[in-house]
Amino acid sequence: MNPGPLSYFLVSAFGIGAVVSGWLVFRTDSMLRAAYWLMVSFVAVGAMLIVLDAQFLGLILILMMSGEMTIMAIFMILFMMNPAGLNPMTMVHQHRTSIIAGVGSFIVLAFVGVVAEFPDRPVPAGNATVALGEELLGRSMLVFESAGVALLAVMIGAIAIAAKQGRFGDAFDGSEEPSIDVETGDRS
Amino acid sequence: MTAFGILVQVTALLSGGAYVLVVADRLMSGTGSVRTALAYPVRRLSFLLLQPATTTERPDFEAWILGPALLMALAAVGAVAVPIAGPSAGGDIDAGLVLFGAAMLIVLVAVFIFGWGPNSVLPMIGGYRMAAMVLSVGIPFSLVVLTTAIPAESLSVGMIVEAQSSLWFVIVQPLGLPIYLVTAAAIAFWGPFDLPEGADLAGGVVAEASGLRLATWRFARAALMVTLSLMGQAVFLGGYLGPVLPGWLWTIVKTLVLLVLLALAGRTIARMRVQTFVWFGWVVLLPLALVDVFVSGWLAL
Repeated sequence: MNPGPLSYFLVSAFGIGAVVSGWLVFRTDSMLRAAYWLMVSFVAVGAMLIVLDAQFLGLILILMMSGEMTIMAIFMILFMMNPAGLNPMTMVHQHRTSIIAGVGSFIVLAFVGVVAEFPDRPVPAGNATVALGEELLGRSMLVFESAGVALLAVMIGAIAIAAKQGRFGDAFDGSEEPSIDVETGDRS
Repeated sequence: MTAFGILVQVTALLSGGAYVLVVADRLMSGTGSVRTALAYPVRRLSFLLLQPATTTERPDFEAWILGPALLMALAAVGAVAVPIAGPSAGGDIDAGLVLFGAAMLIVLVAVFIFGWGPNSVLPMIGGYRMAAMVLSVGIPFSLVVLTTAIPAESLSVGMIVEAQSSLWFVIVQPLGLPIYLVTAAAIAFWGPFDLPEGADLAGGVVAEASGLRLATWRFARAALMVTLSLMGQAVFLGGYLGPVLPGWLWTIVKTLVLLVLLALAGRTIARMRVQTFVWFGWVVLLPLALVDVFVSGWLAL
């Protein structure tokens, strides 16, 4: 399918939207807004994929982001100085390191984008979702399944470490003040 | 169908369905006659629209405004994926099922920012409750919805309805509809799962809302219930398929059946605590949904 002027316009508009909302993540002063600006940025990328005829990929990206960004927002709010309210706080820190990292990764990615020769294998006309499924469970199966199993192992490990009865013993050990009852030493 | 036609159709469906839902819920509450129940949605809406809106100290104003608007938009987007009268009518989308799933999971975001917006404790706790609930039932919900695509070999809702011409999926996948109804009621925070708006939180996410904001929120939540019933009947009850009556009428009848069923559940089943519900989602619903996926996949081979 040849892209028309509308496709070019939409892809550019969503692209600009993704960059601007990504920038707003760092300009806002609220944890919640930062998390959801990032979600807006991802949704814009998903919309670009939909315009580029990859409906399934774009929608699944948007689907995954809603839960992930809420979990992120909750954790970010948990780590705030005052988790119970809307106290403004800055979203940027370690200015020098982040400037160097940002400029460096931009140069590397721009260099790759300009120099690299991208494969030109358009999806055969028809159902792009079927083609994607055949790719995931065909040629690329080993790569994707290994990555999936590795991620699962990491998740189980993280839960095992963080759980109340984790590998470092009971999480409440030492977190409770000793009892005033000296004779029995009863904690409760 | 033109974009304008789809807009009119979705607006009519969601408004009509929301009206029926509110009337049915009012009747089941046992307060007042049928006549007052029929007038209740209009009276309540007029009251809320005339009510002066209160505000709180230093709210996150944009988030508070965006919450109801986003909820309404998500209900409409989800409804677009369902064909009403026939396989091609009503904007049949290639990956309609995924569009619906994405819209329904973003409901969490709408409720969370609506609870965050007023800068007040009880609404915020309501938002956290919603996060705990939806993160627990989101996976079983997505699994049972996507499982209906396996026998149909398509993610388009029209194709899924067509695949039920011999036997509805409520029989082919007996676990599907019960799990769907439980998780759908939780995603619409309705009935036994209205914990984010719980009476123990003085209204939870709506504790500080009033006027136009509360009216929009109430309407959007009822519309969300309609969207969830609409998709439920399309993927489990054969959608527009049926004898004698025209397809669109079958869609409406089946949607209303599910709506009334959900309203009835909301008035009859006891609420459970959020902790119990999270346990229920991960330990009961998720394994059952996986059984549903495996059995359906095995049958489809």
